[in-house]
This record gives sequence, C-alpha cells and structure tokens, in this order.
Amino acid sequence: MKKRIVAVMMALTMCAGALAGCGDGGNAGNGGEAAGGDSSSAGSGDALQSLIDSTEGTVKLTVWASDVTEAQDLTQELIDGFKAKYSSVDFDITLGAESESTAKDTVLTDVTAAADVYAFADDQITELVKAGALQEVSMGYTYDVKAANASGAVDAATVDGKLYAYPMTADNTYYLFYDKSVFSEDDVKSLDKMIDVAGAAGKKIGFEFGNAWYLYGWFAGAGLDAYLGSDGNTNVCNWNSGAGPDVAQAIMDYCAGGVLVNSTDDGSSVTGVKEGTYAAVVNGIWNSPQFQEAWGDNFGAAKLPEFTANGNTYQMNSYFSCKLVGVNPHSENVGWAMVLAEYLTDESAQVKRFEKVGWGPSNSKAAASDAVQASADIAAISAQTVFAQPQRIGGYFWSPAATLGSALSSGDLGGKDIQSLLDEAVTGITAPAE
Amino acid sequence: MSDTNVKETAEKKSSPKDIKVNTVEPKGMGVKKKRIVGAIVKNTVLAILAVIWLIPILWLFVSAFNVDPGINYAHFFPSKGWTFNNFIQLFHANSAVMYVRWFLNTLLIAFFSCIISTVFVLMVSYAFSCCRFEGRKGLMSLSMVINMFPGVLSMIAIYFIMKTIGLTESHVGMVVVYSAGSGLGYLIVKGFMDTIPASMREAAKMEGASELTVFLKVILPLCKPIVVYQIISSFLVPWGDFVFAKLMLGHDVKNFTIAIGLYGMLSKENLPRYFSQFCAGGILISIPISILFIIMQKYYVEGVTSGSTKG
Amino acid sequence: MGKTGVKEAARVKEPKKRKLLSESAFIRYFRDIGTAVSKGDAAVKLSMIIMGAGYVARKQVIKGILVTLVEALYILLLVVWAIPNLSKFSTLGTVQLQMVFDPATGKNVVNDYDNSFLILIFSIVALVLLAVFVLYYIHNLKAVYKIQLRAEQGRHINTFKEDLKSMVGDKFHITLLTLPSLGVILMNVLPLFVLVAIAFTNYDQQHMPPNALLDWVGFDNFKTLFSRGGLTVSFGYAFGKIVSWTFLWAFLATFTCFIGGILLAQLINSQGVKFKKMWRTLFIVTIAVPQFVTLLLVRNFFREDGIVNTLAANSGLIDFLKNIGLVKSSMNAIPFLSGRSVGWAKFMIVMINIWVGVPYQMLIATGVLMNAPQDQVESARIDGANKWQIFWKITMPYILVVQGPALITDFVRNINNFNVIYLLTQDLYTTQDMAMANSNAKEVDLLVTWLFRLTNEYYNYKMASVIGIIVFLICVAFTLVSYARMMRGGREEDYQL
Repeated sequence: MKKRIVAVMMALTMCAGALAGCGDGGNAGNGGEAAGGDSSSAGSGDALQSLIDSTEGTVKLTVWASDVTEAQDLTQELIDGFKAKYSSVDFDITLGAESESTAKDTVLTDVTAAADVYAFADDQITELVKAGALQEVSMGYTYDVKAANASGAVDAATVDGKLYAYPMTADNTYYLFYDKSVFSEDDVKSLDKMIDVAGAAGKKIGFEFGNAWYLYGWFAGAGLDAYLGSDGNTNVCNWNSGAGPDVAQAIMDYCAGGVLVNSTDDGSSVTGVKEGTYAAVVNGIWNSPQFQEAWGDNFGAAKLPEFTANGNTYQMNSYFSCKLVGVNPHSENVGWAMVLAEYLTDESAQVKRFEKVGWGPSNSKAAASDAVQASADIAAISAQTVFAQPQRIGGYFWSPAATLGSALSSGDLGGKDIQSLLDEAVTGITAPAE
Repeated sequence: MSDTNVKETAEKKSSPKDIKVNTVEPKGMGVKKKRIVGAIVKNTVLAILAVIWLIPILWLFVSAFNVDPGINYAHFFPSKGWTFNNFIQLFHANSAVMYVRWFLNTLLIAFFSCIISTVFVLMVSYAFSCCRFEGRKGLMSLSMVINMFPGVLSMIAIYFIMKTIGLTESHVGMVVVYSAGSGLGYLIVKGFMDTIPASMREAAKMEGASELTVFLKVILPLCKPIVVYQIISSFLVPWGDFVFAKLMLGHDVKNFTIAIGLYGMLSKENLPRYFSQFCAGGILISIPISILFIIMQKYYVEGVTSGSTKG
Repeated sequence: MGKTGVKEAARVKEPKKRKLLSESAFIRYFRDIGTAVSKGDAAVKLSMIIMGAGYVARKQVIKGILVTLVEALYILLLVVWAIPNLSKFSTLGTVQLQMVFDPATGKNVVNDYDNSFLILIFSIVALVLLAVFVLYYIHNLKAVYKIQLRAEQGRHINTFKEDLKSMVGDKFHITLLTLPSLGVILMNVLPLFVLVAIAFTNYDQQHMPPNALLDWVGFDNFKTLFSRGGLTVSFGYAFGKIVSWTFLWAFLATFTCFIGGILLAQLINSQGVKFKKMWRTLFIVTIAVPQFVTLLLVRNFFREDGIVNTLAANSGLIDFLKNIGLVKSSMNAIPFLSGRSVGWAKFMIVMINIWVGVPYQMLIATGVLMNAPQDQVESARIDGANKWQIFWKITMPYILVVQGPALITDFVRNINNFNVIYLLTQDLYTTQDMAMANSNAKEVDLLVTWLFRLTNEYYNYKMASVIGIIVFLICVAFTLVSYARMMRGGREEDYQL
C-alpha cells in the first residue's frame, strides 16, 4: 500500500514537472516519450528482462479477439504459446470474443472494464485515442513495430505522429471478384468492357451502391476527397465539385443499363454469385471463401476496374484499412499487455493467422512468404492498395453518402438534379460535428 | 375508497346470479345448417391465418436443414439438399459457438427471472387491485409514469449501477436486470384482478382469513389464465434480449446467453458460415417455450371452469 | 341491460371530494411532524436521535433495536460513502486523469483522479438513499408519537409478534410492495435520475470520462436543441417528421394488434371451432421463437431480391402493382422495406408488427374473455340481442375497462418500440431523402431508434438525454390525461363487485 502511494506521488511530481517545464500541455507527453524512445533504442531486451524481474505474483490479462471461430482458436493457441515462452511468470489470461468492427462501441462504454489487449478496425483509432483507450506504443519489447510492418499499416496505427497500436492484418479493403469462365483477365481491367461481356452472357455485375464505404471508390477514383479534417471532427468532402457530377452521372448511366446492379448487402452479393446471377461482384476478403466455393476453378480476383465518366477514364479507388491490436492504458499490467500484443502480431503469428484464418498479413516479411504470395486475394489486394486511401472519415459521412449511392443507382433523384443532390449530400457529410 | 361502499354494491350485485341461464334452443334444421357452415368458415379462416403466421417459422425450419451453411435469399426451400447436420453442429461446442452452454445459461436466467417477475407482478397487482391504502392511486400513476421511460436510453446508467454492486459479467446480474423492474408491468394482471368480485374476498375475510390467505387461496387460483400469460412473457425476455445482455454480460463466450450468441452468428464474417446453424438454434429455443405453454394450457382451461363459478 | 345499473352504482361510490382531501392530507403530513416533535415525551424526543428509543420505552424492544440498527447502517453509509461523493457533486470532480508509463516495471502510474460520471451516479444514488431515509425518519417519528398517544389512552400496544402479523393483515400492501419497489428504484428510478442529470452536463464525445472531466452546463443543451437548429443541419425537419411518424405508428401498432388479438381470441373461442388448443398453440409458436430471429428472417423475406419479390415477379404481381400505380414503373421489385418507397415501408412495418403482436394480444384477450361477465351476456341473449350486438355492446366495453390502462401502456411502449423498428430497418432501409440522411435519420425511425443511433454512433449522451427527457414528458402528459379520463368515476371497480 505504502509503495503504491509513493509511486502515485512520484508520478504526480513527474506530471507536474513536465507541465511546469513545458508550460504547455500539448508538449507534456514529449518528455516521457523521449525517455521511452531512448530505452527502445538502447535495447528492448533489457526492458523485457527488467519487466520480468520486476513482476511479482500472478499477471492477470484479458484479451478480446474476433468472434470468428478460427480467430478464437488461433488466439487461444497464441496465448498458450505466450505462456510457454515466458514460463517464469505466472499468467492468468482470459480470452473474450468481440468483433473488431464493434470494439470501439464496447470499449468506449466503459474503458476501465475493457480488455487489456483488444483487436479493432483502424477506422476507430482516432476516437479510441481521443477517449484515452489506447496506450501509446512508445517502445517495442520484442520487435520494432514500425520497421516490421508495411508503411500503410503503420500509418493506419498512427495518430498525430504517435504509434498507438500493433498492426495485425492489412486486408480490409474491397476489390473485384469475377468468374473466369465469363471474363478474361483483360476484360476485368475496364468496367465498360466487363459490362459488354456480362451483358452478352446474360449475367450481372453486383456493386453495393447503397453502402457509403463502397461508393467512395467511384468519387475517389476521379480524384475527389472525403476525409476527416484536421480538427478531428469535421469531414472534408468535395464530391459536388470538379468531376463529381460527371461521376454521379456515370453511375446513373451504368445502372440504367441494367448489367451493373445495386447489390443490397453482403448477403445479396453472396446469393447473387451462388445463384449464378452475378458474374462479378465487388466485395472483400471475408466473403472470398464463398465465392471460391461457388466458382471453383473459375474463381478470379483482381483490382477494381477503370470506369469512364464524361469521356474520361478513371481507376476506381477504395478504402483501405487494417485490423489492429491495442493495449488499454487502464490495464493493471500495461507492460505485459504490450508484450502480449507484440506476440499476437509478430511475424510468426501473422503467418499462422493467414494459414488458419485467411487474413492477409501487415508484417512485411510475413506478406512476402510464398504461401501469402500465392493467394489470388492477396495479389488483388496489393494491386488495389496502390489505389486505396486509409479509411479516416467522421460519422456524418455514412448516412448521406449511402442515400446518395442509393438514389443514383435507382435513377430516382426525387425530382432534383444531380448537382443539387450532390450539394445536399456534401452539406450533410461536412456538417460540423457537435 | 371505503370498504363499506364496496360491500354494499357487492351485495346489490349478488342478486343477478340467481337468474337461471336460459339458452335459446336451436329451432329446426336451418339453424343447424347455418351453424355447420359457420363452423366451416371459421375453421377455414383460422387455417388461412395460421398458415400466414407460420410461413416465416416454416422458412426458419427448412433453412435449419439446409446443407448450404450461408444465407440464400432466392430460395424458400434448400437448393443444395437437406441435412440434419446443423443441429448436430450446435451440440459440438467450439471456441466461438457453445450453444448448449448458452442454452443452459439462458434457461437458468429465464427460470429465475421468470419466477421473480411473475411474483413481483402478482404482488404489485394484488396490492393495487385489492388493498386500499393511502396514496394508492398516486403510486399507481407514478408507476405508470416511470414505466414509460425507454430503457434503451438509460442503459449506460444501469450498467454503471450494476457494476458498482458488482453484478456485471454475472448471471445473477442478468436476472436482476430482467426482473427487478418488473413490478411496473402490473397493469394487465391488475386489470384482470379488478374483475374478480370483491365479495369473494370479503367472504373469506369474514371467515377469519388474513390478506395473505386471501391472496394465495382465493385470488391466485382465479388468476390462472393471466398468470400463464405473465409467466410466458417474462420467461421469453432473456431469450430475445441481446442489447442489455451484450452490455452486461462481458465477453467470455461460455457465459453468453443464447441471444448474444445467436446474434453474433449474424456478423459480417459469420453470416456466410453460420446462418443455417442460426436457424437451427432459433428453432431449438422455441422448444422449451412451447413445452411451457403446452403445460400451461391446462391451467388455461381450468381458468375457464373456475371463472364460470364466480358469478 | 343489466350493465347500466352496475355503472350507476359505481359512480355513486366515488366521492367527488377526493382532490380536496388529498391536498389537506399534504398539509396534515407536515402538521403531524410538528405535533410529534412538540408534544412528544422524552422517549419520542430521544427517538429524534436514537430512532428506536420510542419503541424501547413502550416495551417494543426488538422493533426498537431493529430500527436503531437501520439508522446506524444509514449513518455509516452516509459518512463512508455518500459524503465523499456528494462533496464533489457540485463540480463533478476536479482532478484530471494522468498516467505515466514506466517501461521497466510495465505499469502505468495513475494519479488519484476523479471519474466524473461515477461521481454523478454515486451522488444520485446517495441523494435517493438520503431522501428515503428522511421519509423513513419522519414516518418513524410519527409512529413513535402515535404509540405514545396509545399508551396515554391506555390502549393496546402491539407486540412484535402482532406487528409481524399485521404485515400479512391490514399492512399487507407494504409487504407486497417493498421488494418490487426496491427493484424499480434500482432499475428504473435511479437510471432515470442519472439521465436527467446528464442532460445538464457536457457528456459527449469530446468529454468522455474517465479520460476527461464533466461539467455542469445548466440549460445549454436545451438551448442548443431549440435555438441553433439543433444537432444536425436539418434537425428540425427530421425531428418533425420522426415525431409525427412515431405517434402515427404508436396509434396504428397499438390498435391493430389490440383489435386483431381480440378478434382472433373470439374466433378461436367461438362455437364450432374444433381443436381450440391446437390453434392457440400454433399462434404461440410464433411467440416462442425470439423476436430478433423471426424479424431478421421476415425482413429477408421482403428484400428487393428476396423470396417474396421473386414470387411476385414470376406471378406477374409486380406488373399488376405497376399498372395500378402502387409500384413506380422504374422499379423492378416491390420496395417493401428498402426505403425506395416510404409508404410501402411504413405499411410493411405495421403489417409485420401485427404478425408479431397479435399472438400476444390473443393470449391476453383469451384470459380476459374467460372472465367476462356471463350473466350479462345471458340476459342480453334473452333480450334477443344477436352475437354482434353482444360483442360490441357487452364484451367490448368490458374488455376496454379491463384493458384500458394496459392499452395506454401499450401505446407508450410502441412509442418506444425499439426492437421491431431497429431489427426491420437497420442496414436495410436507406432513406432517399437527403435532408433526413443528413440528420442520420430515416423516415421509419422512431424517436428512440434515432436517439439510439445518435448515442451509439456519436456518443452524444447529453443531447440524447435532452431529447429523451422531452419524449418522456410528452408520453407522461399523454398518459396522465388519458389515464385520468379512464379512471374517472372509479371505473376499475365496475366489475369488481
């Protein structure tokens, strides 16, 4: 008890010192970070050894991983491996299930009750950092996170120049799945060509226009912006200017043709492929097994095609995001939580994850392995990554953009012209957040 | 309300019960024929309604036997063939799907919260319907007002209150969440108790019975039909709630209730692989509830006969 | 018919002076405290400090000890737990969370920070406990004084055993109501107060405890809602649309299910229907499968690329609907729930809700109908009334009296019917109205579902609380008015004879 009080007092003096020294709260963290940085370069092995030495009693940790069966199994396996690796320390690690896509909602409800180590999708990182739910990764105990991972993945885990999480996968984007018996590899480079071929074969091409995530690809392809502004609250969006109206018109024209159709959601896309209605569909890696099953040897994956709007050809873009592992600063054992997070995301863990769950690695060496390189999905993802932007967008984006996509694909603009519809959508997307 | 008033009117009312029931006798064949036609029409209408009501359940049923584990919107009946495997799979727990465990968790929570809720509702209903005390009407209005508050909005507050008492991540906590506030749902049962003649209570009290005895021996047996309703509806809650359970019950898969578990099967990654199992799971839930109802039906019928003796 | 006589009898019983009486009761409450304090003897006055003293003096030793124990417990709770929290209530805490990471020990060193939200909750719990205690304290004082009077008049004073006995006798309502009330306070009242308090703080995504401190902002949030056009660019527009649909929905949902349930119950109960149990069970099966399972199935049923649409296309139904103008000619599917036609979506939601709600109402109605006054029905039959007349003139009014209050709660519950709307429209319904989309709203949203989205996706707890309070007040006003109307003349006793 006494020890604790002393520690708290020390911490307070440190904080006070930092505050007084810099005079400006914004820089307060830098002193500490510099110190952390030093120790990291000085040799992380020492830090790990001193962590082991200073550990007394049982280290209790909770981990949240995806509720997908294979992911749970793998995480449990990794946890067991972790315990074996540090057998001198007594661990009590519990594993819980929480989908990466909803982690933020749960964590923010009660940060103090959230897991010590949890996986989440990178679009949540800004809000998690703002709420103080992520421990800064100021150093690596077992490996250098920044050096080991692809730069895009590191960027996705970085907020305001500071690394806040450990990249786990780099595959959360959308690309083209197609039936090789209908399209040739050349056909799928251009949407116009695809529509001709599919139309002749009596097939359709599915795209989720009513989903803002997918719709983004069209406008971004024409060089238009939709991202979270520097204040961290308000979106920047210029879809109503420049080539915006052309793109909107192009979507309407394509859809009016009846070959490129609005697929309501994942379920529709999968059903469409299974039923043989869709010869191609834009979707993500999580549904790849379904498509592989439906098309068998004719399964093909490629980067998104080019489309034409008002005579110009544009490459369709996409959002790109990673799954990350974060450490909760409210953890009793932040140090061990960091070591565990490193263990869950290091090269060998990522290779295993690809083998068992099928998720694409963010670790550069893991991604370079033969097994990974042989995957059609990974090849398509890396081809698409060139035309992808990190998913950094505020909440006001989703609803108006979805309505825009839905209206354009149905051709029913409710009596408005394209320009005013776009203007209205942009007003909603860029509305100042509370 | 003074007791004498009630008693007086009760005595006034007691006279009509002497009237002998004279049912109008059917006259001739015409009426009989009409009756048969009527019966046919009624049964047909019921059959049509039942079909409408059961079509989605039927879809649930056939989807549960689908070989294809994912969802398919285009077909009613499985296109790839039938299998019993989805049910079998449910009984083989893996790290993400522990159906049997969830089922037992939910059964336990449902059992206790059902008992507490039903007892609470009956207690409150009796107090409001049959006891006369100062502030009764005020309390009734207050309860109605409080009951109007949408629970979804106060979820975080409830979460932190429960956390303070140490009841998050526990099944006891879930029982509390589902049953503690149930007293507010007294209106239907109280309305029912209001229809039971006060003279019956007065008579029992005249013979020296305490309020407790009146409650247990006189009123309760008459309330069977509505108690059945109350039991079924409160038993159902834990099977269908995933909003509160998700928030309160933590993340340990083996502690889940069926609702969180099944809802998790519908996530983006799980839907293509677990939809048929989800349907199978949905069907299995309906079994304990249907059994409960079939057992309870007996009391329904008893309610009819005992109800007719009261007038 | 015999009914009128009964009604008159009921009307006579209810004294008109009730209102006046209750007002004077309010004054009497405080006068009694004064009397107890001024006229109480030494034992009563001692009870002001040691609450059980008055009982012990009259030989009610066990009761005295119990009451004093409760008092001691309260005071302990107050000192140890309530006062530390309440002292920070006015500021909601001042010490900001600070953490320093020590890589060597692997621990975050945290200062002794204030968690504003916990302070808020605990203070409210403490205040409620305090209020309960004050009420109990006053009640106790009066009770002790009453015993003093009884002793002076030489009347019998209850032994502990007799006290216990009265708990199942004339004080039975206290026995009955204590536990349920505690539950309600825990699960309903406290959260309600917390929510009201949040409406006066700045709890939103910029201020999320424990990382940030909360502050009181007075009526600022209410002003934001009503002056600057509110939360979003098209807030007023969306708010108006959603409020009107919420009420229309509540009305339709309540009455369709209510009437449907009664008709179905009547149909099953009527003469000539065979296998009554089987029919009832068939409809119950639909209840037995949880709502979220069936609703998720049903909504897939009615997708634009779903089974019903496939059937409709094959059978030519879509062309027919196009011809009569119910489906726009540009569409190749019936837009049941997709949002391309608001009318279709609203219609479908009400219909699906009938599907969900009627079996429940049938259950209740069956129970209620079984207790229906058979003598009245018989006498009406003797008078030559036909079945329809009997149903509308006798059965319906009876059901309305019994279920009237429940009908009001159903109405309110439908105003807040989260499940049906959320499960049927989430991720499936895309609004075509950009102004609605800009407020993150859908035409088929109820206030609660809209609020849920605002809080769940934007963590805007303060505004959600403000709107929640407004919705709540609307509901309360509606209910109290209709309930008072329904209860006028003590109709609850119409049949309790």
